[in-house]
Amino acid sequence: MTGDNKKWLDQNTFHHGEFWDILKLVKEKEKKGLKISLCIPTLNEEKTIGKEVLILRSELMERYPLIDEFAIIDSGSEDKTLEVASSYGADTYLASDILPEEGDKRGKGENLWKAIHQLKGDIICYVDADISNIHPRFVYGLVAPLIHRTEVQYVKAFYDRPLNYSSGLRSSGGGRVTEILIRPLFSLFYPELTNIIQPLSGEYAARREVLEIIPFPIGYGVETSHLLDLYLKFGLDAFAQTDLDRRVHRNQTTNALGKMSFGILQTFINRLHSQGKIDRIPDMETFYRRFQVEDGSYNQLTQEVVEEERRPMIEVAGYQNRALSS
Amino acid sequence: MLETTAKEFNLGNLLKDLPTQIDKLNEFRKLVLTDAVLLGEIPSPTFNEEDRIRLTVDRFRENGLEDPEIDEHGNASAILNGTEGRSSILVMAHADSVFDANTQHVLNVGPDTITGPGISDNAIGLATVVALPKLLEMLGIKFKDDLIFLANTKSLGRGNLDGARYFLDTMKRPIRAGVCVEGASQGRLSYSGLGTLRGEIRLEIPGNYDWNRFGSSGAVGQLTRVVNQLLEIPLPKEPKTKMILGGLSCGTTYNKTPKRGILRFEITSEEDQVIEDLRQKVDDLCEQCSLENGTKVYLEVVATRPNCGIPFTHPLVKATRSIMSELGVTPEVNPSTGDLNVLIEAGHPGVTLGLTTAENTGEENESLHLEPLPAGIAQLITLLQAIDMGLCES
Repeated sequence: MTGDNKKWLDQNTFHHGEFWDILKLVKEKEKKGLKISLCIPTLNEEKTIGKEVLILRSELMERYPLIDEFAIIDSGSEDKTLEVASSYGADTYLASDILPEEGDKRGKGENLWKAIHQLKGDIICYVDADISNIHPRFVYGLVAPLIHRTEVQYVKAFYDRPLNYSSGLRSSGGGRVTEILIRPLFSLFYPELTNIIQPLSGEYAARREVLEIIPFPIGYGVETSHLLDLYLKFGLDAFAQTDLDRRVHRNQTTNALGKMSFGILQTFINRLHSQGKIDRIPDMETFYRRFQVEDGSYNQLTQEVVEEERRPMIEVAGYQNRALSS
Repeated sequence: MLETTAKEFNLGNLLKDLPTQIDKLNEFRKLVLTDAVLLGEIPSPTFNEEDRIRLTVDRFRENGLEDPEIDEHGNASAILNGTEGRSSILVMAHADSVFDANTQHVLNVGPDTITGPGISDNAIGLATVVALPKLLEMLGIKFKDDLIFLANTKSLGRGNLDGARYFLDTMKRPIRAGVCVEGASQGRLSYSGLGTLRGEIRLEIPGNYDWNRFGSSGAVGQLTRVVNQLLEIPLPKEPKTKMILGGLSCGTTYNKTPKRGILRFEITSEEDQVIEDLRQKVDDLCEQCSLENGTKVYLEVVATRPNCGIPFTHPLVKATRSIMSELGVTPEVNPSTGDLNVLIEAGHPGVTLGLTTAENTGEENESLHLEPLPAGIAQLITLLQAIDMGLCES
């Protein structure tokens, strides 16, 4: 791991436990004159939305006024998502009713994009609607680095995914798409971005100034595009990440993950085009980068993976001779 | 309306306020539900309640209570100072749950229900105790007496009410009365503690057991015989007495004769001597089985409670009935085998109340109905106000 990577990890990686004192956060937010909006994009989330609204509103608006505004932005749920959310006091909006002149596209990214217009906050925090173990940390853990550190523009969540534990060492990473698709791609083309432990996590908070200047893919590529676009504009120092411990959510089928990967790849390749990396493909990195956690500390592991190739056997003299002699 | 006591005038005024109070509590119910979810999603099996207790005491502190603390038995307590503070009223809920830490403690919040393990027993009861100071503040209700809030540990099963017992043994403050808060069911009115013995009959087949002797069998057969003999023990109709065979565990597979087994049972009776006589009979039965079959069969008593209670005519009971009547709730009078026993044993008048209705209690899909909850909480607050006005001294 390079010194720069280590320094960034040390300074820009947090644990939600560092921000347990919500009252202190509220005071700091007020001192800096910041307003914070929370957006939950939804589509048929009646099973989990009630609890998210109940807990986040009660704890972060009523008990501690950390959040100034809280909206559900829905893609046209056919179940009782909006009814349940309203019954616990949420403001609900249909994405199609926001900026109608821009048309209506269906996808999570559409809701996130329209939230920038609908909400007033200087900081917007996005939280997915399918979290079964919702807790206030999912919000305060993400907005806290933005409140405390003016140079931080965008904060990603990462989670404890208990995979294989042995002798206090465990791999730390994202889900299957992160590990199989995103991390290898980042390792090849954007090695610095591999410091983001879970680039696809659906929970993040950002300043309005940065959200309003980047495009939003409406589908699966939105998280990837945010990282690539903001990295190009501001570099790695604009990012921070917070460990939110455990996240319980639905498990996706392999088919769904394949579809997601297909969408992400489109976004990724678009960025390679627009950033000139496809016409003039740079020398590819040969180091694969991943993380492990040891005694609570995150370390990046690099491993050289050189995909050398052999020419077709038919071109090999020895093989040709073998054919002749038989 | 039921006949009330010398404090009828005051209670009458309190009863008149019930509809307004319920409306307001309906507005504020999110406060209780949030605490119920946050507390209920922390596993809290008996003897391992630390994490739930830690959040409880944090909440006591956040809600501005005095002296929030965790005692040697892990109980969390705190005080809301009254305007006069001459005496205290205890409001308590047990913090432990029957579900172990491996159970996925995820609660689903719907518009009318919350579903998940332990929500009615007793996450919602504990959450109500935790949120009560805030609710009182929102309702603008002040007490002359101090209110002591207690989240007691080690209540269930082998816990044998040890948490509450320790708290009451070591509490120095004068207590006017106590109310135990349970999630379900609304209408529950317990004012007596039922004499109880909970025991385990443990059976072990020794290594040198003679498998050729007459009547030999594995632990399943032996325990079946014990069960049959237990069922033949005559139980008196008066005083009311009951024996429940609650659990049998034996063996691990299909094709291996088990050598050990446990039978769990509970005896309850309105007469302590009956329980003692039955315990002696169970002991004798174990000894007989041991000697006749060449096995080791013995009784382990895991929990006992003596009979105790306050009279049906006690002002506390009468006031509770009046409040329920005003709410249109029919009281379900049942003796308690829970925390109320130690409260009354310690010499304090007390009742156990249920807050709302529930389904599938004790199962992982336990489901709590939200609509009756504000009335359930109003019932509790009104009773506390009545005690504060000197009801128990009338």
